[in-house]
Amino acid sequence: MAGSLRLQRLPSASPGIVLAARAAAIVMALVFAGIILAMTGANPIELASEVVDASFGSSFGMEDLGVLIIPLILTGLSVAVAQQIGAWNIGAEGQFYAGAFAAAAVGLFVPGPPALILALMFVAGLVGGAVWILVPTLARAYGNVNELITTLLLNFVAILLVYFVATNAWRDKMANSATPRLSAEIPEFWGSIHWGLPIAILAALLVTGLLAFSRWGYEVRLVGSNPSAANYAGVPVRRHLITVMLLSGAIAGLAGMLEIAGTVHRLQGGISNNYGYLGIMVAVLARSSAVGVIFSAALMAFILNSGIILQTQGLTTSTVLAITGLILFLTAIGDELAHYRIARDKA
Amino acid sequence: MDLLTGLFTTAFLAGGVLALAALGEVLAERVGVVNLGVEGLMAIGALTAIAAVAAIPSPTIGFLSALAVGALFGALFAFATVILRANQVLCGLALTLMGSGIASTIGRAYSGMPARATFAPIEVPLLSKIPVIGPAFFSQNILLYLIFIVLPVGLSYLMFRTRHGLNLRAVGENPAAADAAGIPVTLIRFAYVTAGSALAAGAGAYLTLTFVPSWSDGVVAGRGWIAVALVIFAGYRPIPAVLSGLLFGFITALGFVGQARGWPIAPAFLSMLPYLGTMAFIIVPVLAWQRMRRIMAAPAAIGVPYYRDLR
Amino acid sequence: MPGEIHALLGENGAGKSTLMNILTGIYQPDAGEIIIDGYAKEFSTPLQAIASGIGMVHQHFKLVQAFTVAENIHLGWSQTPRRASAQVLEQRTAALAEKFNLKTHPGARVSDLSTGEQQRVEILRVLARQARVLILDEPTAVLTPTEARELFKALRQFVAAGNAVIFISHKLDEVLEISDRISILRGGRKVATENTAECNPRMLAKLMVGRDIVPADMRRRPADAAPMSTDPVLSLENVSAIGDAGNETLHGISLDVRAGEIVGVAGVAGNGQRELSEVLTGIRPVSAGKILIAGKPVGKSNAAAFAESGIGHIPEDRLHSGLAPALSITVNAVMREYKKPPVSSGIGYKPGAATALAKEIASAAEVSIPDFAMPIRNLSGGNQQRLVARREMRIADKVLIAAYPSRGLDVGAINTMLRYLVELRDAGAGIILISEELDELLNLSDRIAVLFEGKIMGIIDNDKTDIDEIGLLMGGRTQVREVA
Repeated sequence: MAGSLRLQRLPSASPGIVLAARAAAIVMALVFAGIILAMTGANPIELASEVVDASFGSSFGMEDLGVLIIPLILTGLSVAVAQQIGAWNIGAEGQFYAGAFAAAAVGLFVPGPPALILALMFVAGLVGGAVWILVPTLARAYGNVNELITTLLLNFVAILLVYFVATNAWRDKMANSATPRLSAEIPEFWGSIHWGLPIAILAALLVTGLLAFSRWGYEVRLVGSNPSAANYAGVPVRRHLITVMLLSGAIAGLAGMLEIAGTVHRLQGGISNNYGYLGIMVAVLARSSAVGVIFSAALMAFILNSGIILQTQGLTTSTVLAITGLILFLTAIGDELAHYRIARDKA
Repeated sequence: MDLLTGLFTTAFLAGGVLALAALGEVLAERVGVVNLGVEGLMAIGALTAIAAVAAIPSPTIGFLSALAVGALFGALFAFATVILRANQVLCGLALTLMGSGIASTIGRAYSGMPARATFAPIEVPLLSKIPVIGPAFFSQNILLYLIFIVLPVGLSYLMFRTRHGLNLRAVGENPAAADAAGIPVTLIRFAYVTAGSALAAGAGAYLTLTFVPSWSDGVVAGRGWIAVALVIFAGYRPIPAVLSGLLFGFITALGFVGQARGWPIAPAFLSMLPYLGTMAFIIVPVLAWQRMRRIMAAPAAIGVPYYRDLR
Repeated sequence: MPGEIHALLGENGAGKSTLMNILTGIYQPDAGEIIIDGYAKEFSTPLQAIASGIGMVHQHFKLVQAFTVAENIHLGWSQTPRRASAQVLEQRTAALAEKFNLKTHPGARVSDLSTGEQQRVEILRVLARQARVLILDEPTAVLTPTEARELFKALRQFVAAGNAVIFISHKLDEVLEISDRISILRGGRKVATENTAECNPRMLAKLMVGRDIVPADMRRRPADAAPMSTDPVLSLENVSAIGDAGNETLHGISLDVRAGEIVGVAGVAGNGQRELSEVLTGIRPVSAGKILIAGKPVGKSNAAAFAESGIGHIPEDRLHSGLAPALSITVNAVMREYKKPPVSSGIGYKPGAATALAKEIASAAEVSIPDFAMPIRNLSGGNQQRLVARREMRIADKVLIAAYPSRGLDVGAINTMLRYLVELRDAGAGIILISEELDELLNLSDRIAVLFEGKIMGIIDNDKTDIDEIGLLMGGRTQVREVA
């Protein structure tokens, strides 16, 4: 039939359409959340303007956002880096805690001048995160065991470990569930935002730059896309898999270190606002560019902050998680639908 | 109750949760769909059951409502992954986030309240008098028999000894072959993913109606993920899946016993046992035995969306 | 027509498979009708087509590898009993095998069977459902010449009982041998239907392609071509290798190639060709024996080192091993040269220089590319293959290993590919050509080695052999094998 319409699936979606689909996903999810809020009696427009005011209207608000962005940039970077080699690091949350744990150990028990302690804490954070992802990495590299589940299970273990030391072994006599204040802290950079922010941004630029402009980065991208082709080209697949996954863990560990050394200043039970899991969303949205990671982290920070601001309305950080889940769901659908186009048959 | 009986009783209860969730995941993965939303489904099911019995004090209604809500969310997930063919891993993670988040938010109203109605134990005559096993298995609530006998045996029979079972396994192994043989691939995938999700939610209901039995934030505590891992360990088969759940029930029970008996290990570390145990169970066999890789092989087409027009 | 073997001839992409997918209910036609026994029928699902007596054996078998033969036979079949234990299914399968005279092992796992055996399972599956029209899509691609002759015998028996066969192929000789009538498809249209008795290869080729094809004599060298060297440029001495499953797949292979020579490797797919090409290019380590490049033994296997020594590789499955389909054309184009300047400077990687290199390769391959950043899977199969070929030719100073280079390509693309090989040979490289198309091998090779079950059955001079001898060697040089 002349001129009939047909749904056609293309092998690749054009980046412009994908971007549009994701923007639509985010908007739809927020609108949906607004509708639910409206059904519980609140006025979503009012709430929205309250949130925008609180976030951007004052320097306190911007500082709150800034503090939230730091861990999100790094956990997002961590998950994104793992994605580059074709691995799912769902354990960023646990590596965050592990990095915090290691850094706290230094900050509580190692004597020395603050500058040295900070440097050691920095290294400890990286090492803690890398150690925490080590077993899943080796299991994947040598046994092809799916890293998604192994990294995730260790999240629970890490949280229990930190909870234990914060409430028992390292507990501050006067507090109930936190350690004493750490002996060193990251100085402030702008208001209450500490130097962790430039460090995080620098890390994002450095890592994504390496991936795009170095031979190693080329090889990593090849392995992540098609290990058989990488093998064919003589790229050491297993070595790169291990290196990149350890790097991913280390970055998440660094996020933990920055959080306790810069924001919280002690090790305690709930130092993470689900940063590890929100990092997954950041990575999915970011698509491996530094700008993407920073921008998506900012977006997630805004959503997270809104959840905190609206706690008076009965929202919790769990609600934020649910909304994030909805965004992820719609993004996944949108990414797939972006492959389709309506084609007109020729006569 | 002496130690051994207590151990077994707890094992069956705790293990029942994992077993039911694992059964649900076996259904989904056997037709080729990885459902990583089990954790979220369990949370939703757990909450639905509590909310339902708070309104109508019948545990059966509670359990059935959980199944219904699980089926609803499962259908949503199935629509996205089977019909629209969106990425299964992302959709599954999204489902977990949504499920956990929604359950947490709505659950604040029910936090800490004991379940208004739970399943009463049924004493099987004669058998319940057997020492240890008697009270542990034969004096339990009716769901236990469902989870440990009826479902695994029934599903096993269905999958491996019937024509329908042959067809459904083919869908997970090679959907193109199944399609060419005239099997309705999309329909089967949709149906079993939804059914599996219902069972996962049911596992959550089992948690808050018999094991705990109340709701609190984070009550699911990663059991959904352990169930997903157990399915791999059990080679995607119903009876081994249920037995693995029971094994984990024992490990959990051991942890409780340790706490109750004041063992010198801190409770936090005992709580880590299930997670570390799960990791050991999926890593060690694969590294130790090469043969294991073939026995534990996943259905060949798992995780891959099926497009009819791409040959 | 009942009692007829009707061949469907056409090059890749002419629409043969699509037409058959419509006939078997996988696709729906936009226009036109299917008429069976005088009634117009519509097949919106494969089940309906099967119910009407149409059975198809696809080129890529629709078998579930993890299932047994019995399970596969009974898949999706309404006559399978509701309660079906493994025993019951196997008994029924044995009975069917008896009835249709096709030997098979009901309890064997399909993944353990040879491709010839798997094809028999497919045929049995289709016959069990009382197919009256049997459609075979490129059936002899996976058979030795002997097995092919057996298949033809079975087909003639089938049609003698009043059934019909549609035989899809792109091989002219086969089609002339087996069919009663031939229909030629070109560009999605039927161009002609002729009685086989009135056809000849030249005429068929012309109808298939739309113009006169004069097969060139590829073995003749032009005056300025590099001469064949005396010493081999790459040799395997008694090489054995272990396959993925852990058992030895190559046994004591000795093979060499000289500069300016084309050595063909014949054999049915699945006899060790993949492992052979992997060993020749350093992807797979050898478990015994030596590899020498230009007379010097090679140490550890290392694909990158082999490539740097001047050994190129056109892999068997380009999308699976030679390319990263989701990555850009640029990234794929520089896969062999990304470590050297101009693309690399020290540890850096320069995207600009990479794109420039990609453009060079694209223009040598005569592929026009609108956007080098787009994923390479957007290109057609033929274009992908040409890019891979030119990419490898750039680094193949000494040897090019080409595995099934013409697979899946249309006649025009195949010609281009073979021209490239000849060009490279004349420039002084040696070529090892692994192929299942005997015509191609006879057309191009100076010597032909035959691979069977991981062993070289013989290396013969092209001038001194013929298709029958090669066929025997391909089949293991024994009598007709009882493949059951």
